[in-house]
Amino acid sequence: MTAYLAHFLVMVAIYSILALSLNLLIGYSGIFSLAHAAIYGIGAYASALAALKLGLGFWGGMAVAASVGAFASALVAIPSLRVAGDYYVVASFGLQVVVLAVFMNWTDLTNGLAGLAGIPRPKLFGWVIDQPFKYVFLAAAFAVATWAICWRLTNSAFGRVLQAIRDDEIAAQAMGKNVVLVKIVVACISSALGATAGSLYAHYITYINPSSFSLHESIFIATLVILGGSERLSGPVVGAFLLLAIPEILKFLAIPDTIAAPMRQIIYGALLIVFMLVRPEGILGRARHGR
Amino acid sequence: MDLFLQLAATGIVVGSLYVLCAIGWGLIYGTTLHFHVAHGAVFTLAAYYAYAAQKFLHLPLAVAVLVAIAAASLSGVLMDLLVYQPLERRGAIRTTLFIASLGLLTLIENVLAIVFSPDPLRLDIGWLGNAVQLGPVFLTRLHLVSVATAILGFLALMAFLKYSLWGRAIRAVSSSPEMARTVGIDLKRVHLLTYAVGSAISAPAGILLAMDVGAEPYRGTTFVLLASVAVIMGGIGSIPGAAMGALFLALLENLGVWKIPSEWQSTISFGVFLVFIVVRPRGFFGRKVQSAEI
Amino acid sequence: MRTILSSLISFALLAGMTTAAVPAAAQSAPIKIGAILPLTGSGASYGVWMKGGAEMAAEEINAAGGINGHKLEVIYEDHAADASKAVNAMQRLVEVEKVPFSLTSYSSPTLAIQPIAAQHKVVIMNGGGQSDNLAGKDYLYNNIPVVSNEVGVIAEWLAKDKKRHNAVLIVANDEAGRNSAATFRAKFAAYGGKVLAEERVALDATDFRAQLAKLKARGGDLLYISSYGRNVAIIANQARELGITIPMAGTSWVLVPETFKSKGADGMLVTKLPFDPNSAFAKKFKEKYKTNAGFFAVQYYNATMIFAKAAKAAMKKHGGVLTGEGIKDAIESIRSFDTLSGKLVFQANHGAVMDIEAGTLRNGKIEVEKTIKAAP
Repeated sequence: MTAYLAHFLVMVAIYSILALSLNLLIGYSGIFSLAHAAIYGIGAYASALAALKLGLGFWGGMAVAASVGAFASALVAIPSLRVAGDYYVVASFGLQVVVLAVFMNWTDLTNGLAGLAGIPRPKLFGWVIDQPFKYVFLAAAFAVATWAICWRLTNSAFGRVLQAIRDDEIAAQAMGKNVVLVKIVVACISSALGATAGSLYAHYITYINPSSFSLHESIFIATLVILGGSERLSGPVVGAFLLLAIPEILKFLAIPDTIAAPMRQIIYGALLIVFMLVRPEGILGRARHGR
Repeated sequence: MDLFLQLAATGIVVGSLYVLCAIGWGLIYGTTLHFHVAHGAVFTLAAYYAYAAQKFLHLPLAVAVLVAIAAASLSGVLMDLLVYQPLERRGAIRTTLFIASLGLLTLIENVLAIVFSPDPLRLDIGWLGNAVQLGPVFLTRLHLVSVATAILGFLALMAFLKYSLWGRAIRAVSSSPEMARTVGIDLKRVHLLTYAVGSAISAPAGILLAMDVGAEPYRGTTFVLLASVAVIMGGIGSIPGAAMGALFLALLENLGVWKIPSEWQSTISFGVFLVFIVVRPRGFFGRKVQSAEI
Repeated sequence: MRTILSSLISFALLAGMTTAAVPAAAQSAPIKIGAILPLTGSGASYGVWMKGGAEMAAEEINAAGGINGHKLEVIYEDHAADASKAVNAMQRLVEVEKVPFSLTSYSSPTLAIQPIAAQHKVVIMNGGGQSDNLAGKDYLYNNIPVVSNEVGVIAEWLAKDKKRHNAVLIVANDEAGRNSAATFRAKFAAYGGKVLAEERVALDATDFRAQLAKLKARGGDLLYISSYGRNVAIIANQARELGITIPMAGTSWVLVPETFKSKGADGMLVTKLPFDPNSAFAKKFKEKYKTNAGFFAVQYYNATMIFAKAAKAAMKKHGGVLTGEGIKDAIESIRSFDTLSGKLVFQANHGAVMDIEAGTLRNGKIEVEKTIKAAP
């Protein structure tokens, strides 16, 4: 049973990293990206391929993932420099669809739908982190590091510029802030962190295929940020914990998987609607100094 | 050449469905400025209403289709009445509405998956499934009906907007809500009407698709995304623009696979869109939009 | 609102976990094995057969006293043709339920879980997937011939007996589909045939017209379907609708109920693995599950029976303790098993060989034209 609890905590940690990094975009910069699963997937594939094909193991794989993620952030950043609002949302949807198609169809690189199996578990000073129990510590460490990075970023002059851009981009520009540079930097950091989560995932489950990085996954990560609340840094983490608990509860109620999977989506959808009715003034614009 | 014509024909057939979806969504977006992704759920619901009407109420196909269109139209209206208008009354900003719409889409798609199963459900379409050969092009009668429906739907909507009193009210709200309110138009009523009309015009697309390949719960998301791409490219506020955008995307997708491996078909529309927004975000026919802010 | 919600959820979690942690009565602890099957999705009809076969076997085993007195319990998991789900299921089975053995199905899911099986020394047995890559893998046993066997037979039959020379392929874009297509290319070429074009499709897609139109434009005298499950019938119907008149062909995995019912599939040239629809097993299956049995039902019945025999031997040898390693050793030393399909001998590469029949699908039945005996 501890194995089960450990598994749950590892996934909470991974999704916390994803939610925290997406929150940098949605909550702090006003960039409503629905392509975060694509970044997550890019990190997972980069890490898996580096480990499998180049023999780099977990740490090398993660370094590759973070770098590739940072470069891939251009996909997220460039449209945000040209359009915002509804246009940007559609663009990010489109980006997500295109990246997923690349995962599925560039079979020479990704093995397509068959996926990549046998991804090695991490090694730390000669010990293999093979039990879920041990993995919890590793994943939690990364989650804490992510939180620290986000905290540092948002509680700084840079963070204030982000919020200025979110609140009124034109005014921020008029005040002489280099909006282009700031957007690129935040997208870079967000994507590098998201890709790191992908690396953690790949080396934990030891198998990845495109179906884990779909549009529905992007919507789920955004849901974590929205429901968790983006005004504190703890929000996305709480969101991850609560929303990941729901499918586990459904499992304990012995609901067959065919019903359980759509049922959790129904609960998420209903929560989104209810939450919006409760907080119509929105999730943007209330971020204060994080804690 | 034969292949080219066949792909072009398929493009026009698929384009008919995209057109119906896009002009309905575009009408709603242009008038209410709601990013109504739950329109995809209306599209999907229409298909299941038709299936249920035929299978459980034993209605003849034509009647089932009409019932389904009416039910879908009502569904769209209820979404505005029960979710969007209460949100607006509480001072919701546009992102909030979008998120609620996303929640609605997710909720409805998955309820349908549980109630009807995620597998495609076929309708009994009888002789509509018969093959028809036009020169080197092979289609079915259903495909011809799809094209006819799109043409009629488009003309009907244009006529409605131009000549009827309600249509003019919608256009007034669409071009300037403040002005419309000043001259005494009830915005809430016009919104409900817009949802009724917009949902009704897109419902046939969901039904026709189900008649061709079966009703599935999760298709609506892709269709509403394509509709939004078509509307943005055609220019917000322009129904002909939305129709042209939709047809353009469908032809691009189908003729594109002439030369590109067919597994990349779904990426063509979105790839083109990503290039488009970097180059010409304003669209071909739309009003000049100062800033595309939410 | 959030604190109440989180307290409720935490409480429910805690309650659930405590209940599950109480150990079951350890009198004569049941022996648990897993079964990771396509219970839903495009391959659901295989799932009905596979689960039914395994269930029937488990019932018979338990009626005869179980495995050395222990009741056999099969834990069914659904992968819905998604290898990620299979991996999650396998990890749950291995780490939480601690099974020593699991039935598995489909090529991609099986390949995905095999590293886990090897690492935890859990035997997995595949009765359905046919990719060549399934052969020669540690802790994985296949009681079905890999595809190069069957594809070799159909390629030869189509080239020599049916005089086909130029084929166009429509291929499911996954491990099984691509592997089978590559093998077909090679084998067909060996018998003088040529592949003119190949188009890939998604397993759960419903519209194949673009791909079929492109293949039609290339001509040829055979459309080879390297896909399986529900979409075969759709492909066949849409192909005929588009005016494709050349014959279509596929190996045994196209033989699902939807294909038998489809008008477009009439006249399809197929190979099939041995299955007697009039056997006692088939009759019992039909009575119990209200649907005709198929080849895969027998396969999973056989696989479960093979497990039972190996498990009994392993427990005898190791003083009543059952481990995956014990089961593996037992399979290797027994090697030859009596099954409903005749004698099954596991080869050195952990695979099996069987007789193959070739024929035409007409009016919902297969008219067998040729039987090719299994090479030893």
